[in-house]
This record gives sequence, C-alpha cells and structure tokens, in this order.
Amino acid sequence: MDKFIIIGERIHCISPVIREALANRDPEPLLARGKEQLDSGATYLDLNIGPAERDGEDIMKWGVKLLQENLDNVPLALDTANRKAIEAGISVYDRTKGKPIVNSADAGDRLDYIDLAAANDAIAIALCSKQGVPRDNDERMQYCQEMLEHAMELGMEPSDLWFDPLTLVIKGMQEKQVEYLQFIRQLSDMGLNSTAGLSNASNGMPKEVRPIVDSVLTAMAIECGLTSAILNPNDKRLMGTIKTAEIIMNRSLYADSYLDI
Amino acid sequence: MTFKREPQVFGASITEVEFGTEGASVVFGGANTLPLYNFDAQAKHRALVGIEISDKGPDRSLPELSAFYSGAESLSDIASRACTAPGADFVSLVLESADPNGDNATSEDAAALAKEVAVALAAGGKPVVIQGTGNVDKDQELIPKVAEALQGMNVLLLSAKEENYKGIAVAAVTAYGQKIGAESSVDINLAKQLNVLIAQMGIKPGSYVMNLGAAAAGYGFEYISSTIERVKLAALSQNDDALQMPSITSVAEDAWAVKEAVVSEDDFPEWGPREERGIEMEISTAAAALAAGTDAVILRHPASVKTIADMVAALA
Repeated sequence: MDKFIIIGERIHCISPVIREALANRDPEPLLARGKEQLDSGATYLDLNIGPAERDGEDIMKWGVKLLQENLDNVPLALDTANRKAIEAGISVYDRTKGKPIVNSADAGDRLDYIDLAAANDAIAIALCSKQGVPRDNDERMQYCQEMLEHAMELGMEPSDLWFDPLTLVIKGMQEKQVEYLQFIRQLSDMGLNSTAGLSNASNGMPKEVRPIVDSVLTAMAIECGLTSAILNPNDKRLMGTIKTAEIIMNRSLYADSYLDI
Repeated sequence: MTFKREPQVFGASITEVEFGTEGASVVFGGANTLPLYNFDAQAKHRALVGIEISDKGPDRSLPELSAFYSGAESLSDIASRACTAPGADFVSLVLESADPNGDNATSEDAAALAKEVAVALAAGGKPVVIQGTGNVDKDQELIPKVAEALQGMNVLLLSAKEENYKGIAVAAVTAYGQKIGAESSVDINLAKQLNVLIAQMGIKPGSYVMNLGAAAAGYGFEYISSTIERVKLAALSQNDDALQMPSITSVAEDAWAVKEAVVSEDDFPEWGPREERGIEMEISTAAAALAAGTDAVILRHPASVKTIADMVAALA
C-alpha cells in the first residue's frame, strides 16, 4: 500500500505574512515555509492565493516558479477560486516530481474544476458536496459518483480524483464525526484516493486542545483508509502520529529512530 | 478481451554502489523491479557473485578445490588464482587469522595480508571485499587498520555492526573513502535502524551496503529470505530510502558449516562425496538468496560460483 501523502498547508493567504508576501512578490516567506514543511515530511505543498480576483494569474505563475525552482521541483496543489489563475499556474508547472493538484472541485458550481484538471492532466481534489454541508453519507456518495462519472467521461483516471469527505467541525457537529469516518472507509473500499483538511474538525477549540484532536482524528482517518491530507507538517505531535500510524498499518518498516526520519 | 501485460516497475530504485579501482571495479544495485524480474524491466546491473578465500588458505582436503588452487601457495598466489574462477565478479578475503578465538593475529599483520591480496587482485582485474572476524571488538580495531592499509583501493569492508558501526564508518568511509557493509543478523528493524544511524553520521548512500545475515538452506534460511524480501519490498514499493542500499549475502561460511557439508563420506557413505554436498548447499542457498532479493552473494567453491553466475546470466 502506498504511503500516506502529506500536503503542507502553510502557504496560505489567510496568514498575514503570506498575504503580504504574495502582494509584494517577496520570495522569502514562501520559501522559508516551503522548506520547513518539506523538511518535516510534506510531499506536496499547497499554494493558496485566496480569491485573487485581480492579479491571480500573475501571482500563481510567480508562486509556482518560485517554489519549484528553489525547492527541487516540489509538486504543488494550486489552491484558489480563480480558475484562470490555476490554468496560469499549470502553464509554468514542472511535472518532474508529480502532477499538479487542482484544489478544489465539487459537485456543484466547481464541477468544471474537474474539466480543468482533465484538460491539463492534473489531479483534482473533489469535495463531496454541492451546496454547503452534505446531509449524510448517501448524499456524499451521490456527489462522489457524479464527479467520478464526469471525470471518467473526460478520460481521467479515477486515481487522479482525490475525494474529500468534507471534514466537519466537532464543536457543533459532533454527532456527524463517526459517519465522516465511515465515508472515508467507503472511499477506501472502492479503491479511491482521498484527502481531507483534517484540522477543520478542531476549529474553534482552544489552542492547547487542537493538536491532540487533530492527531487522534488523523490516526482514526488513516485507519479508515484516508490516503492523504492537507495539514501542518510542522505540528510535531501530528507528524509523530502519522508516522506511528504508518508503522501500525505496516506501510513503513519500524526502526527505533522512526520518529526522526 | 486481450491480455494487457502491465510491467511492475517501481518509482523507487536501489542505490548503486561501486567498489574496486579503475579497470577492476563492479557496480551493484540500481534495480527498480523485483529480484530477477527482468521481464518487467531489464535490471541495470546483474547480481554479483564473489569467490571467497581465507588468509589461512583453501581447504585442501577437498579434491576439486585443492586442484583449483594447486601450485598456489602464497596468499597472493591464491588470490590471483581466485581471480580466474569463471563467473567470479569479485574476490572476498576473510581475515580468519585475526580471530581472537583462533590464531588472534594482530590487526597490523592482518591488514598487511589484506594489502598483499588487494594488490594481487588489482593486477588480476578483480575488486576486493574484505570480511573481518565477526568479533565485534576485534573488527572495531581491525577494519579501520585495513581501511588505512588499502587506502585508494575502494574496497568493500564487512561488516559494521550495531556495536561498532561508529568507529568503522568514520575510519573506513570518512577517513579512507572505502565502502562498508552494515550487518544486522536477521533483524529487519535493526537493519533499517543501522542504516538510519549511519546516514545520520553524514555517510552518503552509495557508500554502504546491507549485510542482512546468512544461514544455510534448511537451517533457518526462511528467516533470511523473508528479511531480504521484506527489505526489498519496503525499498521499492514503499520508497523507503533507509532501505534502498543493495545487499550482500555471505553464503560460504554457513553453507560449509552445516552437517551436510561437514560429515565425511566414510561416516555417511549413502550421502556421497562431501565436496559435492558442500557445493550443493552453496548453490541452493545462493539461488534462494538471489530469488529473495540479495544483490550479491559470496561463495567459496569455484563450481558453485560458476553455477550461480550461469544462473544469473541465464535469467538476465
């Protein structure tokens, strides 16, 4: 079984440092965060430039080139609501280390992000929702099927859709967490790839509580068959949890120093 | 529906390791398919077959072996003769005389013998593997001395163990640019751990190989083969870079030490000649180790070397 894939989430315009760096085309903050995440075990880096309505294409091209040229062609997830910016990013993308990821499509207004991925031989993160939060797993599965059929009609390989079950915040939707995990298992049973923004679950919790919640949910999701996640690779407890889960799942051979590598 | 063949080629590959000097060097590793699966993708390098000699000379009670080495009295003559064994890619010298449980020769004397052999082998066009005594304390002193004496010859030194890897790695690789084998005696987790520790010392991939342990077929060999297999699968299918070193298996010592290769024909006439039995033990063990995924085997008898080399060539 393949290794769990970590998409580093820390180059995100929600961070004031990154927002400013993107606006001023200042390389240092992006490169520093990119390197930190790769050193800690990220495979992909998410490059989230926000809505970027005005100069999204320029920003995305600049960001893709900057990260790939300086960080050994690191594979990237291109993350924005500006479709043209994703296309622009892919136009300068180097595939040596892996296909670009389009982040993200859904079964509603953003179904055409799958077309974008298909036209560019990219991976698409496919959010199992249409408008807002899916009611239950039947609805999740219906959206999953819709996107899968659409992608296959366009000639995509099913493995290039990474289905996101839509992580729900525990504070307020505690009763939906088990169902969420069951859906991950359904995806896994179907042999489909999956990804999730797991830290959504701990949103609104005190800072000192979030790491343990994120770690435990991640471990449980991995056992259910989750194949990747968008997360903070510099969270030591979370990374230790993932490495330990990989050992218990027998996807990585144990050595006494396994936490250090 | 027509059958569509999907070659099983992995995105990861085994690191290439080269030892020996110009004109007398070999490379092993490099594979990105399961062992001997040349139908999936042609392996970059064939598995290597080495011939083992001891600094105490060959067992002249074995008629064929004795004939092969006849007239070769000095250690350098024996080494030169070993170079001529058909199918041998390298020669492996066991510094048996330095064993504290035997003659306990000094490390300096043993290193001088190693030098003599290495010079003869360079002339014979074969790269050199040096096997220590297996005694942790003695090897810790001996291997650095050998590394120093053979400076510039790019030899492969066996073996660094958990208890002595630090000193051996620093002296052999960092100071004298030799290659080393990390020995883990059928402990798969230790195999990985040793590689991690050696890497943490700043030793680069390409400078060390794995010696995962050995046993003769029928004598706990299944532990060896499953260890070799699991390591190779982790290296390739899980892209585990702490296990992507090529591995070398010393078959000779174990194969010639089991009952089948030891008891005389006088005691067991129905078993036939002892030499034939020893050769068969070597061949069956080496073939199985190669099928499990080892990248190099060390054998003692020229007949076993030829048979295994022929097998490797036929499957290439």
